Amino acid sequence: MNLLGALGYAVFERIGEGSFQLSEPAPDWLPAGSIMEAFPFLEVFLPDAEEFWANEQSRSELYSDLWTQNELHFCAIALRGESNFLLIECAEQRFQQAQSFVQYAHEASLARDQIAKLSRELKRATQAKSEFLARMSHEIRTPMNAVIGMAELLTDTSLNDEQREYVRIFRSAGDNLLNIIDDILDFSKVEAGEIVLEQIQFNLADVLQQAVDIAAVRARAKGLETAARIEPGVPALLIGDGGRLRQILVNLLGNAAKFTDRGAIWVSVEADTDKGVLHFSVSDTGIGIPADRLTAIFDNFSQADAATSRNYGGTGLGLAISKRLVELMDGKIWAESALGLGSTMHFTARFGVAEAVVSAEPVAQKPLGDRRAAPRSRGLRILLADDSAENRFLIRGYLKGSGCSIDEVENGALAVEQFKRYAYDVVLMDTEMPALDGYSATRQIRAFERERNSRPTPIFALTAHAFGAARDRSLEAGCTDHLTKPIKKATLLEAIDKFVPSAAPSDRTEVSVEEWLKPVVGGYLEKCRADVAVLRVALDGRDYDKIRMLGHRLAGTGGGYGFQPITDIGGALEESALARDIARVSASIEDLDRYLKGVKAG
Amino acid sequence: MLKKKICMVGHFGVGKTSLVRRFVDSMFDERYLTTVGVKIDRKDVMVGSETVTLMLWDLAGEDDLEQLKISHLRGASGYILVMDGCRAITLAKAVELQERITAQLGPLPFVAVLNKADLRDQWEVQESALAEHRWATFETSAKAGRGVEEMFLALAAKLLP
Repeated sequence: MNLLGALGYAVFERIGEGSFQLSEPAPDWLPAGSIMEAFPFLEVFLPDAEEFWANEQSRSELYSDLWTQNELHFCAIALRGESNFLLIECAEQRFQQAQSFVQYAHEASLARDQIAKLSRELKRATQAKSEFLARMSHEIRTPMNAVIGMAELLTDTSLNDEQREYVRIFRSAGDNLLNIIDDILDFSKVEAGEIVLEQIQFNLADVLQQAVDIAAVRARAKGLETAARIEPGVPALLIGDGGRLRQILVNLLGNAAKFTDRGAIWVSVEADTDKGVLHFSVSDTGIGIPADRLTAIFDNFSQADAATSRNYGGTGLGLAISKRLVELMDGKIWAESALGLGSTMHFTARFGVAEAVVSAEPVAQKPLGDRRAAPRSRGLRILLADDSAENRFLIRGYLKGSGCSIDEVENGALAVEQFKRYAYDVVLMDTEMPALDGYSATRQIRAFERERNSRPTPIFALTAHAFGAARDRSLEAGCTDHLTKPIKKATLLEAIDKFVPSAAPSDRTEVSVEEWLKPVVGGYLEKCRADVAVLRVALDGRDYDKIRMLGHRLAGTGGGYGFQPITDIGGALEESALARDIARVSASIEDLDRYLKGVKAG
Repeated sequence: MLKKKICMVGHFGVGKTSLVRRFVDSMFDERYLTTVGVKIDRKDVMVGSETVTLMLWDLAGEDDLEQLKISHLRGASGYILVMDGCRAITLAKAVELQERITAQLGPLPFVAVLNKADLRDQWEVQESALAEHRWATFETSAKAGRGVEEMFLALAAKLLP
């Protein structure tokens, strides 16, 4: 046992049960006194050791657990041989090793629990915050609607110029406040995971144009150029949430317009075929974003710097909302900028492709403010007269997905009959047809319109003749324009867009109305319909003031309820009444009438 | 002189070692140091007019890999069942330990302890869930020193005839 003593063990020989004698020189850490007094741990080890010593079959040594006393770490070992021995080891090294292993496992486990707990708490807190914001937004919106509504009614009373200006400011501030509340509500919905993207077919060009139209209002006011471009290879019809895509674009374009004082804002889309996503870029020549803020601007309530809110306003929620929406579309959003030169906001988004149709030619850069450039064929009611089933098939195909409804007839006589029965936005008239040719049919339609004193409907002659004479003959018959076969899709759409009256969107338009507005929208539209009658009386009496006032009110309310055309027509009424332009007032009233007859809130 | 063995048992990281350290040395260390095996301390206390030496056996906390060795409670007069108010799982573990100890050693006197009272706002152990067990329960904070001495002395008093 000399060897063990030399190794630093305290070695005791077992003389009898519970009786031990030190058989080697004591190590310096061994306390004086009896072994049982010195090491209370032996109380629990010795019964096991006695059993071990008594059992001849067992292995030759038994280790106790480690224990700690007076900052020292020990282990006991029972040995069996000719004599039985009890060894006490001052097991610092073994302890440190065991301790560090267990410590590591425990810390990892505690950290994991902590993270799980924090994440639960964070989720709960976020949920609570979102619910609070949503509730507050609703609570605020109710009285705000009353405030804005009262301001509107006030506008209708007799006011002097000063009062009118006050009311105008009061109303526009109310509108701004509502916008902010909408942002907050939207944001809290996104954050609470309440927004589920729709998966429906939409036309990318339409969405782009609608977004640009909205931004163009602000851009025009500041004299900014606007442009949009869809690169070749981008599918025309997509499946996804077009409304949310528009929201992102409106937001980015709105920011671009907001932070740009001169120059241009533009949007472009290209297909990133490697990743199977579309890449959108919204660029401006504005003030730019400092490099160290390029990431932070996507955080909630964050703007490039505190002064931004003072100079430009806004909640700083728009980009945060856009970021969440882009993420829902399985995309990324990021910003590039050069201070003082401008910024580009990029985002990618993944959509389904509705058909294997790829836009053949790039949509040319076009000024966004120009409504004629916009594909607005959506929702039109079209009468197509052609004896060739193939041609009808082709045109139907061209207009598929545009949202137009098409009635088809096989000859001129049927075309006239059909036209007298229903109102159409556009007539596509083949010139060579049996029974009655297109020229004669057009003449009869024009005569019918004159009798009814109604505005001439755009009629496009479809002919196989490319010569000037054929065109002259069409125009002479009363056609609006002349399209030469074979007709290309782009030509057809362009022609329709070009000649459909700007403020007369369509006979039947389904407008999607926000949930909270639904209860009031019916009443609002009724009121507008009543306004048409009032406007007609005012027109008869040349009451331009009254017309201007009503126009102003329509302009101020329509868009707010989701009926942008009402706002547009209202604006036209206001302007034309101010200019005492009787023809334009009359046309606008008819536009309004037509829109209101067709519009349906959904 | 009267000597009583008292064991500290509970899930790992609930503060068994810290409670002993607070009680014996009036100290607290923020750093978490896992106990390996058993740590033995002693402290003399006065119960009534009698001095009692408490032998405090701080048993390594139970985790997924290592079970409490009931044999370490041999000869114990009582035990302290320690929970961390911030971790609901430590109550479940305490229930399980109490049942195991009772099954093997019979009904030993014990007190239950909800430690980390300084973090009361982060507690997730439900008072109603705890109340079900009708344990004599103390709320302690080894860090702030709150309730610690009272808890040890209460158990010591329980152990005397």
